[in-house]
Amino acid sequence: MWYGTNLQRSYKYMMFSKMPSLRIDQSDLKCKNGCDYFGNPQWQGYCSKCHREQLQRQRWAEKGSSTLPKPEQKKESGFKLTSHSSFSKFEEKRLRQSETLKKANLLKFSVFKKSSTDDHDHAMERKPPEFKIPPMVNEGMKRDFRLRFPNLTPQMDRDARLFAHSFIMDVIKCSNVMTVDELSERVQRQYQRFMKHMDSSSHFANVEPDTKELLMDFVEKHAMTYLHELPSVVFSPAGTEDERLDRAMSERIQQLSWVGETHLECKLDRTNAACRQLLYKAISELLGMDAALSPGGKVARVRRACRHVLALCGAPASADDLLPALIFTVLKANPPRLVSNINFVTRFCNAQRLMTGEGGYYFTNLCCAVSFIENLTPESLNMDRKEFDCYMAMPASIGGSAWAAALSLCGASREAEEQRLQVENLMAETRALKEKGDQLAVNAESFEKEIAKKVQDVLAKTPLEIKPRRELPRLGSLTAATAALIDLEVDKLNPSQINNVPKIEQHESIPPLVEQEPLNTNKPKLCPDLHNACGSTEAQPKNLPATSTNLQENVTQIIPQNQNYLESELIVTNIQYQDEPIITFSQTPEDKSPSRSPLNPWEVKQTSSLELLTPSPLGFTPFDSRSIDELMTPDDFGSEQVPGLSNVNYDIDLSDFSGDNSLAEDVPREPKDPFSPDPKKYYPFEARDPFSPILDKFDEFTLVDTKTNETSGAFEVIHRASSSRDPFSPVLQESFSLERDASLLDDSHSPTSTSLLPSPLLPQTSKTNDH
Amino acid sequence: MSREFDHLFKLLIIGDSGVGKSCLLLRFADNTFSGSYITTIGVDFKIRTLEINGERVKLQIWDTAGQERFRTITSTYYRGTHGVIVVYDVTNGESFANVKRWLHEIEQNCDVVNKVLVGNKNDCPSRKVVVTEDAQRFANQMNIPLFETSAKENINVEEMFLTITKMVLRSKLEMKERQNVTANDVVNIRKSGHKSKKKCCQ
Repeated sequence: MWYGTNLQRSYKYMMFSKMPSLRIDQSDLKCKNGCDYFGNPQWQGYCSKCHREQLQRQRWAEKGSSTLPKPEQKKESGFKLTSHSSFSKFEEKRLRQSETLKKANLLKFSVFKKSSTDDHDHAMERKPPEFKIPPMVNEGMKRDFRLRFPNLTPQMDRDARLFAHSFIMDVIKCSNVMTVDELSERVQRQYQRFMKHMDSSSHFANVEPDTKELLMDFVEKHAMTYLHELPSVVFSPAGTEDERLDRAMSERIQQLSWVGETHLECKLDRTNAACRQLLYKAISELLGMDAALSPGGKVARVRRACRHVLALCGAPASADDLLPALIFTVLKANPPRLVSNINFVTRFCNAQRLMTGEGGYYFTNLCCAVSFIENLTPESLNMDRKEFDCYMAMPASIGGSAWAAALSLCGASREAEEQRLQVENLMAETRALKEKGDQLAVNAESFEKEIAKKVQDVLAKTPLEIKPRRELPRLGSLTAATAALIDLEVDKLNPSQINNVPKIEQHESIPPLVEQEPLNTNKPKLCPDLHNACGSTEAQPKNLPATSTNLQENVTQIIPQNQNYLESELIVTNIQYQDEPIITFSQTPEDKSPSRSPLNPWEVKQTSSLELLTPSPLGFTPFDSRSIDELMTPDDFGSEQVPGLSNVNYDIDLSDFSGDNSLAEDVPREPKDPFSPDPKKYYPFEARDPFSPILDKFDEFTLVDTKTNETSGAFEVIHRASSSRDPFSPVLQESFSLERDASLLDDSHSPTSTSLLPSPLLPQTSKTNDH
Repeated sequence: MSREFDHLFKLLIIGDSGVGKSCLLLRFADNTFSGSYITTIGVDFKIRTLEINGERVKLQIWDTAGQERFRTITSTYYRGTHGVIVVYDVTNGESFANVKRWLHEIEQNCDVVNKVLVGNKNDCPSRKVVVTEDAQRFANQMNIPLFETSAKENINVEEMFLTITKMVLRSKLEMKERQNVTANDVVNIRKSGHKSKKKCCQ
């Protein structure tokens, strides 16, 4: 954190601090050892006295005689240092066996140490001034200080180093005389002394309290780091049972390796990768605690470990969650020399630090966790004593590799769990896929059915009529000339529909003979349109509405034209107009048609229509109007063929949605009219009355139509045309709507000429209407 | 001293597990209730600074695990503690019954320390089990101020923390006066320093 805060400024200040260093700082002239005398480069930067001592020590070191305390101590420290590093490596590998070996080494070592400490003590007492802090430490402190406190004055640096030196000396001196507790108190007093010095000294007058604390930490770190390396001084000091306790704790944790998160009631999800990651991080931090040399460093490790543990606990974690999780982590980590480390920190860390702050809080938690493990009872795990004993006996059978076994088991179970989850996921996915596949199949099936149905519907409505349409126009045009034939046909039609068909064919054959030319012109144009329409309808049922609308449009287009024609042409219509209102009142078109028929002198109509037709070029227009009127008549005819007609009507309704259709319907009526003259047919229509409701619908249309009819008014003419058609109408009945439509279309087209031709669709509607 | 606070107090919050100690802390330090983010409770950076009588007081509140099985090991928490907040759950009679044991534990670990008794979860009258009168009688008997709070509804939380802070501040100032009265300042400071390591309050 020091780096973080000061790094930005450090460059600037380093530049600044270098400037004076060129001029040789006074502190640089002084003895490296920090004794206030001036040093000399010839004496390696020491003052004369320190240099002599240094030389002496080197000589001792070379001698390496065990009788001399100093070198022995050096040696020991070196030995221990190497052991430290190797130890920490062990921890990283988590090799239990090597650790136990290590323990054995330490044990021997401690025995050796203890025996030696007595001599050592004497030596210290005899020649306290002889011991000097190696220049390396001094230099290291200097460098570290510049790095961390680039903005602080060299005086402070010197003060800090001097204090650290005196502090170290003091501790080393006292360590042989005092008990650990006394030493701890002395160390705390040293900290306080330094704090007081900083508060009182003019050097530190302008320093922030926070920086003072950092300086305090700095001194503590360097002093304790140095002392930590000395064996049996501050870390697991002589005269304490720390090492024995370390071993005991390690064994204890080993024994408790079976304790899981469930026993501790902490909510850890070991199958969760993120959780595991956090757990491993926490464990490695705890293991790293032993590698840190200063109390501050150890506490920092603990703090980081606990932060991971806290994250492990989940969202708003409280101490209720933290402590069990930390205990679990400690059990799994089994940190080396745990008790020694904790004792070292509690004794020699700045007490103020331990009592407050995040580090202190977490370290306190760690202490609690350790003491919990120490005093673990079946009750504290909420389990039966027998069971507990069983568990405790188990590790013995497994032996020293309990930890490794637990780890491997843990890993295996974790993998199994992971794989199980994966399999579950896969199964769920396949299930979902299968469901989707089934659904897709069902959808496809239903879609297929739907399409088939629609196609069938369309086919039922549309397909075959196209041919007859062609014929119808001929018929329409023919009607006038073949009036006689029509009568015959009507008679023939009466027997049955089946019979009609051949007749129609005959008619078909006939009309071309009579009036091929005008019809032909119409036909080719109409047919393709119809074909197209049919084709489109078959292909895409959805297009039906569109086509129907087209049809309607066409119809509407044609109708006005028809109306014009009608208006222009017919005189006789006036009479019919009078009739028509009556018809409308009568509601059912069928009713109307009969009413009309009586009113209308059929013969006259026919004659008139014939007359009109004969001038057929002009008479085309009347044809349209006729067609409307005729529709009535075909229905009448249909009376004999009631079902067929009614069916036709239904079809019309379905296919044609708008009033346009109704208009078309009206058109068909006109054709009916010519038939209506036949009383037989009308009566049957009356018989149909039950169907009339259906017809009522048509009535509405007819009403509209009637208007058109009114305008057109050429019923008579129409009748004739219709009469001519009538023969076809039976045929149409067989083929239903389209045939008649075709006839109507033809009519409309033929009169309207080419311009009207585009309306082929209208005929369709009209045909349907006819039915 | 030119720091952002004049006094730094360490408060301990104890009580059975599940009485809402952490929620009280959260409410006081963050003014949130059971936040969804990962929080670190009772540690330095989470601390609130109050101003009382012109003195800036930094509060550092340590949360403790309340489980029965951890009771024997929590003594380390008490080191250097200035005040203790004992929490029970008004909807849980057992937690109130355990208050006595908690107080006993405080006595064992600290000589003199400021205490408050807090009945948390006082937001649902229908579920309330510990009657206010009983709690008040007990508090009077023990000479401890009683607060009935709700961390959920943010009732009385601020007042409770303010009160304990004032108590701690007052006793600290009194202590200082006494120290000034006694002759040698330096010696006293040192002594108090040592003692604070073993006994909790100063």
